Amino acid sequence: MSKSSAAGTQNKSVISRLGGQKFIVLLVVIGLIIFFGAASPDFRKYSTAMSILDYSYYIALMAIGVTFPLITGGVDLSIGTGLICYSLTGGFLIVQKGWPVGAGMLVALLLGIIMGLFNGVLVAVMNLPPFLATLCTCMITRGLGSIFANRLGISWPTSGTEGSWFRNIFKITVNGTKIPLGFLWVLLLVALMAFVLNHTKIGRYTIAIGSNKEATILSGINVKFYHIMAYVISGFFAGLAAIAYSAVFSTVQPGTGAGFELEAIGGAIIGGVSASGGVGSVEGSLIGVFVICLLKTGLPYIGLQANWQQIITGLVLIGAVLIDIMKKKKEKD
Amino acid sequence: MKKKILATLLCASLAATLLAGCGGSGNDASSASSDAATTDESKPAEDNTADDADAATEAEEDTTAVATTGGDYKFEIIVKSYQSSYWQAAVTGVNQKAEELGVTVNCTGPNAESDIADQVNMLNNAINNAPTGIGLAACDQEACLDSLQTAMDKGIPVVCFDSGIPSAPEGSVLATIATDNYAAGATAAENLYPALKDKIAAASAPVRIGEVNQEATSESITSRGLGFIDKIIELAKADSKSVAVIGNEYYVNNCSDKGDEASADIIIEVAVPAQTTVELCATEASAILNKADTIGMFGSNQVAAEGILTANENLDVLGTDPETSILAAGFDAGSVIKGAITSGKMFGAVTQSPLAMGQTTVEVLTKIANGESVSDVPTQGYWYDSTNMEDASIAPNLYD
Repeated sequence: MSKSSAAGTQNKSVISRLGGQKFIVLLVVIGLIIFFGAASPDFRKYSTAMSILDYSYYIALMAIGVTFPLITGGVDLSIGTGLICYSLTGGFLIVQKGWPVGAGMLVALLLGIIMGLFNGVLVAVMNLPPFLATLCTCMITRGLGSIFANRLGISWPTSGTEGSWFRNIFKITVNGTKIPLGFLWVLLLVALMAFVLNHTKIGRYTIAIGSNKEATILSGINVKFYHIMAYVISGFFAGLAAIAYSAVFSTVQPGTGAGFELEAIGGAIIGGVSASGGVGSVEGSLIGVFVICLLKTGLPYIGLQANWQQIITGLVLIGAVLIDIMKKKKEKD
Repeated sequence: MKKKILATLLCASLAATLLAGCGGSGNDASSASSDAATTDESKPAEDNTADDADAATEAEEDTTAVATTGGDYKFEIIVKSYQSSYWQAAVTGVNQKAEELGVTVNCTGPNAESDIADQVNMLNNAINNAPTGIGLAACDQEACLDSLQTAMDKGIPVVCFDSGIPSAPEGSVLATIATDNYAAGATAAENLYPALKDKIAAASAPVRIGEVNQEATSESITSRGLGFIDKIIELAKADSKSVAVIGNEYYVNNCSDKGDEASADIIIEVAVPAQTTVELCATEASAILNKADTIGMFGSNQVAAEGILTANENLDVLGTDPETSILAAGFDAGSVIKGAITSGKMFGAVTQSPLAMGQTTVEVLTKIANGESVSDVPTQGYWYDSTNMEDASIAPNLYD
């Protein structure tokens, strides 16, 4: 599954045999855990790990999905505001219109797929630059979310009330101990999508489009269809992320969500997805997301003010992109 | 080529579905609010339509009948956002009063309370519409100053509600209708401190009280935050305990006495997230709730209070017994906070009266348009906990 080293060089280094950038990033994750654990005794608690996992699900799910458009050489900026839009709409139907929770969740997923399809058509058929197309749908979903939800903040059924079973999808309590069930689902989905990326037509052609679109077209593949599918996958996972977000947080607020996509995209890029397409892995994206989540949760524990957290996350991202560029340069030489 | 046309059509139909969807819910919204307004209006309007036999046109007749009393006044109302049900309650109040007085109101507001630039734009647009008056709940104390000057130059009166603008150009803001936020923050401290008093007295090491504020820019949030801090300092000093304030620079530098962390008996730690969202408030709250010496917590609005409750989902440290748990005080209402107080997760909270605030804003604007003189209208913050939530003086202020 070592997709990160595209060229089949004969004498691989130890690191690239172990998974290349993924392996380095995994070491960074472990390093961060050790660092924060050493710096703050409060960080070492089980509840902190639970919080980090809880707050990571929606970013991880978005990152799994957005890996596909990124590998095609595109991007999906609409997943963050999309997530809030789908969550607001589903929640509105459940809370205000009395729909069953399952139906509300289904609506969130469907909206994600529709928005993904819309993005895909804009990019693959109408040839809009992905950055622009999804920036537009980012604005559209931001507005639509507020309108669908009547401009109200929406609280999906809170724990202990009727219909709150969906919160147990991500966390169950057994004998007073909380089990982060959501992490299991994330891992399973990562395994599934890693398989899709590496062993199915959808995945292989996604990589082909990102590596050399012209050659892919010339080889007679229906590029438009597979290009659209990359965005549909991204939209679908944004829908899943919407459910995870609604299950973890109490109130979904209209107008928020801008910036979530950057955490997911940042995670994917830290995890080895090339900013110029053609290279990347789903499992790498997941590991990258944990760098972002650990920084986000860990930095307040060592007393750093919020604005510094953003600066440090930005710097880490620059580092990851630089590694990508240097790797490319090395391959050329 | 055919494929391209097909794709265009597909896109267009997708867009149309989306638009149709939003049009639909938009209609729902307006009909729902006008329904509410009609029900509310039916009482005062009854006298006017006593001799009107036609029931079908009754509602419409009512509106026109009342409209004559308010003249052709047109007010622009700008709220901070629609993020919390608090603002929804305020807008309901605005619409109710407008219907009652027969004036026209147009309510707008940015998507999030941190969208300061968007709100300034909305204010400028409102000024360009040359309304009879503007009601403004400012997201930022400084950002609106130029626009307020313009409004004054054009002779458009401005009334501030929810948050005042202390440095507004003289004469531009004719009245401020707002909760005395400093006093409301102090109210939270007055009710939280006595519950923690024994624990503080018995403590052998310093204890910590956390405070989560969603930002450090608006008058309402900063006043509440500082009101809480200053009151704790005052009450602690009366018990001859020393206090240190640490964390966000704005609050540390503007409180009555920031003290010395090394020698303090009580440490107040103030956290402000980078954005006004629940998940960032939750991350900040987790870090404080996880500290072994934390005994109390204050979230200075609905978002911050819900952030504390979200953090507690994993930590399970909140409760109402100071010996075994951390006591958290919130601000505002909403179903999540009300539920947490009922179930004993949250100790109590301070609520304002957004409905009355919205109503008063329209009333004051109408008075100004009628040429009457007006003055500031302070509204109160009320402490509520599981014991008095049903009281007649409290219950109407606890919006969902």
